[in-house]
Amino acid sequence: MSTTTIEPLLHRCRRETSTFRSGSKRFRPSSLPGFPRRLGFHCWRSFFCEFKPPHRPLLLRAVASSSVAATVEAFESSDVFFKETFPLKQTSLVKGKIFIRLGHGKKEQDWKLTVGCDVPGKWILHWGVSYIDDVGNEWDQPPSGMIPPGSVRIKDYAIETPFKKSSSSSGGDTLQEVKIDCDPKSSIAAINFVLKDEETGAWYQHRGRDFKVPLMDYLQKDGNVVGPKKGFGALGHLSNMFLKENALDSKNQETSTKSRVPQRENRLEGFYEELPIAKEVAVCNWVSVSVRKCPDTAKSLLYMETDLSGNVVVHWGVCRDDAKNWEVPVSPYPPNTVIFKGKALRTLLEAKEGGSGSFGVFTLEEGLEGFLFVLKQNENSWLNCMGNDFYVPFPSPTISTGLPKQRQTEGAETPGIPAEENEISSLSVYTGGIISEIRNLVRDFSSEKSGNTKSKEAQESILQEIEKLAAEAYNIFRSSVPTFLERAVSESEELKPPVQISTATGSGFEILCQGFNWESHKSGRWYQELKGKARELSSLGFTVIWLPPPTDSVSHEGYMPTDYYNLNSRYGTMEELKEVVKNFHEVGIKVLGDVVLNHRCAQYKNQNGVWNIFGGRLNWDDRAIVADDPHFQGRGNKSSGDNFHAAPNIDHSQDFVRKDIKDWLYWLRKEIGYDGWRLDFVRGFWGGYLKDYLDASEPYFAVGEYWDSLSYTYGEMDHNQDAHRQRIVDWINATNGTAGAFDVTTKGILHAALERCEYWRLSDAKGKAPGVVGWWPSRAVTFIENHDTGSTQGHWRFPGGKEMQGYAYILTHPGTPSVFYDHIFSHCRSEIESL
Amino acid sequence: MEVSVIRSSQAKVGRIELAYRELGLFSSKAHGVKALNSRSDLCFSPSTRWKNARLRFSPMAVRSEPKEVSRRPKSSDGLRLFVGLPLDVVSDCNTVNHARAIAAGLRALKLLGVEGVELPIWWGLVEQEEGGKYEWSGYQAVAEMVQNAGLKLHVSLCFHGSKQPKISLPKWVSRIGESEPSIFFTDRSGQQYKEYLSLAVDDLPVLDGKTPVQVYHDFCESFKSSFMSCVGSTIDGISMGLGPNGELRYPSHHKTAKGSTIPGVGEFQCYDKNMLNNLKQHAEASGNPLWGLGGPHDAPSYDQSPHSTNFFKDHGGSWESPYGGFFLSWYSNQLVDHGARLLSMASSLFEDTGVAIHGKVPLMHSWYGTRSHPSELTSGFYNTCTRDGYEAVAQMFASHSSKMILPGMDLSDAHQPRDSLSSPELLLKQIRTACRKHGVEVSGQNSSVSNALDGFEQIKKNLLGENVINLFTYQRMGAYFFSPEHFPSFTRFVRSLNQPQLHSDDLLREEEEKEAVEAIPMTSESSINMQTASKS
Repeated sequence: MSTTTIEPLLHRCRRETSTFRSGSKRFRPSSLPGFPRRLGFHCWRSFFCEFKPPHRPLLLRAVASSSVAATVEAFESSDVFFKETFPLKQTSLVKGKIFIRLGHGKKEQDWKLTVGCDVPGKWILHWGVSYIDDVGNEWDQPPSGMIPPGSVRIKDYAIETPFKKSSSSSGGDTLQEVKIDCDPKSSIAAINFVLKDEETGAWYQHRGRDFKVPLMDYLQKDGNVVGPKKGFGALGHLSNMFLKENALDSKNQETSTKSRVPQRENRLEGFYEELPIAKEVAVCNWVSVSVRKCPDTAKSLLYMETDLSGNVVVHWGVCRDDAKNWEVPVSPYPPNTVIFKGKALRTLLEAKEGGSGSFGVFTLEEGLEGFLFVLKQNENSWLNCMGNDFYVPFPSPTISTGLPKQRQTEGAETPGIPAEENEISSLSVYTGGIISEIRNLVRDFSSEKSGNTKSKEAQESILQEIEKLAAEAYNIFRSSVPTFLERAVSESEELKPPVQISTATGSGFEILCQGFNWESHKSGRWYQELKGKARELSSLGFTVIWLPPPTDSVSHEGYMPTDYYNLNSRYGTMEELKEVVKNFHEVGIKVLGDVVLNHRCAQYKNQNGVWNIFGGRLNWDDRAIVADDPHFQGRGNKSSGDNFHAAPNIDHSQDFVRKDIKDWLYWLRKEIGYDGWRLDFVRGFWGGYLKDYLDASEPYFAVGEYWDSLSYTYGEMDHNQDAHRQRIVDWINATNGTAGAFDVTTKGILHAALERCEYWRLSDAKGKAPGVVGWWPSRAVTFIENHDTGSTQGHWRFPGGKEMQGYAYILTHPGTPSVFYDHIFSHCRSEIESL
Repeated sequence: MEVSVIRSSQAKVGRIELAYRELGLFSSKAHGVKALNSRSDLCFSPSTRWKNARLRFSPMAVRSEPKEVSRRPKSSDGLRLFVGLPLDVVSDCNTVNHARAIAAGLRALKLLGVEGVELPIWWGLVEQEEGGKYEWSGYQAVAEMVQNAGLKLHVSLCFHGSKQPKISLPKWVSRIGESEPSIFFTDRSGQQYKEYLSLAVDDLPVLDGKTPVQVYHDFCESFKSSFMSCVGSTIDGISMGLGPNGELRYPSHHKTAKGSTIPGVGEFQCYDKNMLNNLKQHAEASGNPLWGLGGPHDAPSYDQSPHSTNFFKDHGGSWESPYGGFFLSWYSNQLVDHGARLLSMASSLFEDTGVAIHGKVPLMHSWYGTRSHPSELTSGFYNTCTRDGYEAVAQMFASHSSKMILPGMDLSDAHQPRDSLSSPELLLKQIRTACRKHGVEVSGQNSSVSNALDGFEQIKKNLLGENVINLFTYQRMGAYFFSPEHFPSFTRFVRSLNQPQLHSDDLLREEEEKEAVEAIPMTSESSINMQTASKS
């Protein structure tokens, strides 16, 4: 529905046009207050243009468009001394609607959920259901009867169904839709979905959350008595939120038309909801300029045409020297021209016949060096040439025409070394700006509160600064003077061996790197690939790497372990794993093993045909499985946490299970050389058991994944996320502080804060950081993305384009930052490095 | 809180005010205004929770604002804390080693509220190639960094060499030493100690026609003119290198084998030609020419225990014999005279700058529990159970208005090997008593960074005890210093120094502190505690 101004296109643009890279990066949108913005760039975010000069300036180029061809004819080739077509690349927002309709099918008992979309593109509905007694936010596979033909099952929790052309769509509109049959008697509480654009891979979510269509209220009651308020509760939030978001959006993108008011059509039995969707589409327009000597008057005639329609204004001037200083030429001016602040002229181009495009003719006096212009479409969309003005050089009697032209060409076309440097420096300025902005913001917030918090804040930041400096000094000393270190060690040996840290929380100086994504298993030789990157990661400053789950697994990604002692996985063999661990140790990086302790997939069926007998070295049976998951007929005790429904959940209350796991972890430490653990789905069992495991395996560092939903009120994320972080802190407490936890709270808050520029969220009621970092920084592992939330799964993707702001936050705040693999080995690398 | 009120008599009003503002704020949150008003009656329950809450003040009060911190050490009662720069901060080609780390480190120290840094300046680097040719650029660069960081500088002029990192005496001096080995200290077996010139040549023109004292003087003069702009401002202290390891001593333990936990007694270093000449003359003058033929024949070798031979035996050892008395007083007087020569030179040279001259005295604490104190004897301090050898030393310092640096402030008796009969605490106390008697101001150092974790408590005890020490130099910056094992505890140490009223047991680990500050239930509950306490 709403949400949806996702910006994968930004990256696409970059990929497509390498010449353009520096531009798009430099102009990364920043909505932080006070960040300097260049005049005339209000819309650079969505409008990019590219200067593409012809190889020979004087060569007449054939232009594909027939309308242009016509003008070419008008200018006799002998007279034309300049002709060029500039492409105008821009991303435009295609607005459309998403329809969600819940209604009767052909028969009264059949219910149908229709999700439609009128924006062109290849849409896929990525969906799953929640059952009545489900806790938490996980999706489940719907019963097979619900799945429309042509769908693809995505693992155990989702379905991907491509949109089909709607039967009802009328010729011009490309309405697409997916229909899902719902069985009113099933225990499905809600249908969850997100939209995916297959072409761009972009996810269209609802503010980082799934669209959720509750079915219970409608289907179990008779349908007739559903009051609209109650019935539309969930969706009501959504539209509310959209309105707010749109208001924000329109600040940035003034092209966006006034936001649609979601229509709500209340039918007796179901509902019909229409929500706007905005998709960015790359549009390439062009502007073509040709200059001709007027044979009679020695003046020049400049003809400009573009395929942009609407009110296209040329904001132009002339220059008399190389410095390209704008001047207003002498009159006469073309029709519809106004003088703008005595510096430039604004001429409204005339619309071409047929309505597709505009043109204008400018008569220019003699002795001019060049013609400068930018285009303005509609009110505030400026189109220019890589941040510079378009420049059309004129031949002067003495200077050859080629020279200024070529200079321009060099500047624009070849982003050589200077350009790269420029890019880098501007990047560092950019990230530096963000950091200081965020700091200032945080400070500002606290200064609004009492002096108490202010001094606390200042003091805190001093302490952080000290720690940072110390860490920096330490790293340099450590790397540059090994002899010095040896001396220190030898001295300490004489007196007393240094205290070994084995509290599983590290030293406070860690920077964690998640060394894989959701696709890493595909090569089958991930360990080897990673091996080659060890040195690089070390040089980037990472001190800990998190490797993918090593065990043999039903799913290739490794999160459905079968035989704990079989470490030959899709990522590589056990030998390769040992080698990569060794490699990382050599470059001074500690290695975390991803251990899945909550659940384990059985290898054999029991007599009832239920998969609940394990194989391999730990050949447990159904006694090791929790009793409260009916799917697996476990005979153990009830689960001490939430259940993960896709696989048998291990009953950690059993002594033999715990002993086996402890042995296993110990074995992994010794055999593979892991330094610590990343613990999957720790919501699934009591933290106290984990403490037991950690005590037994004495890891250097351990971090648990405790991921549940943040608290929202009417769809708005609450400012106070204390309850959420309390749950995480409670879990850390249950482990007796032996393990850290991923700071999901911070991620969630950053989502809201950065996506909607709601920076007030970055400070809690006490002027502290609002996430787990604010309460227990030494145990908080901050992250903005991992293999589940991002990568190709994208369950809860970080707001597009805001990754660097996110990293700027987590890398400069307390807590142990974790950087996602995709972000290191991609466009963000240099920024992350500089941070 | 009560504690801090009491200590406020030491003119820490500002701090206390802060603390109270703090208290006021958080108690009023819980409507505990009454508690605030009746603060004199406050009686806090000793629950751990309250301890946590009390913690709130310690960091805040100290470092409410950076400016506050930098001003603070100048207050009359303030302890000025220095940190030593790495010994090899300037490389042998006169560049600053790992300048970025130094810069970051300086900034960190500044933020911590450290007053300044100590910079070792090596004779062997500055006057490396030939006598009279000085190269100060590297050290000037460091001094500038320190100045820019807003820190003070304490300069140690090192006329000795160092094994690790390897810094030798100037090459031209070493060349002279090859042809004239008697300029170095020599032990009974004829082995030379090449990292300091024998004090017997102090006034002999052995260095290209100059005496070592002249050379030292020229060096100091060059230093003074090269650092003219800093001396007295940024540079507010100068340590004269007085001997091996910069300390006023003989290199009596330089051959000590590594690995043995109990240090031996060391050896007398009086066997170079000039020392022997001197001894001979002295013996002849005292009427016992036979005593001047060599050092004690029955002294043990470096690693032996006192009782392995006759000289240091507790009862009936030669040290108590007339010969022992003769030899030991000559040996120790030589050392004191040497110190006097250098300190008088330095104090007259720097008199007009107002910079305090320091000299370092070693803490030869092993075997302090024996009657003869053999380690002290071999290193040149005639200090036994019957004679106070430090009186003369302190008097010498006093007469040249120099301050004494004492290392080993981090050492406690409990951590010494039991069989070495060592007592750093008692020895320190003895030396400090002598200093107090003669009005010599003492500044402290720790002896090694690697046992600092245990040592912080001891340092604090030494610094904040009856005789307050005004200057403490923490040795020394480097990889270990900034390592996660060490730096956090150093931070805590610094902060606790600034807030001496809290015993370190009250200062929980930093993380826990944060928690205490942050956790909401904690705060409100503790305010409730406070309220009830005030009613009682």
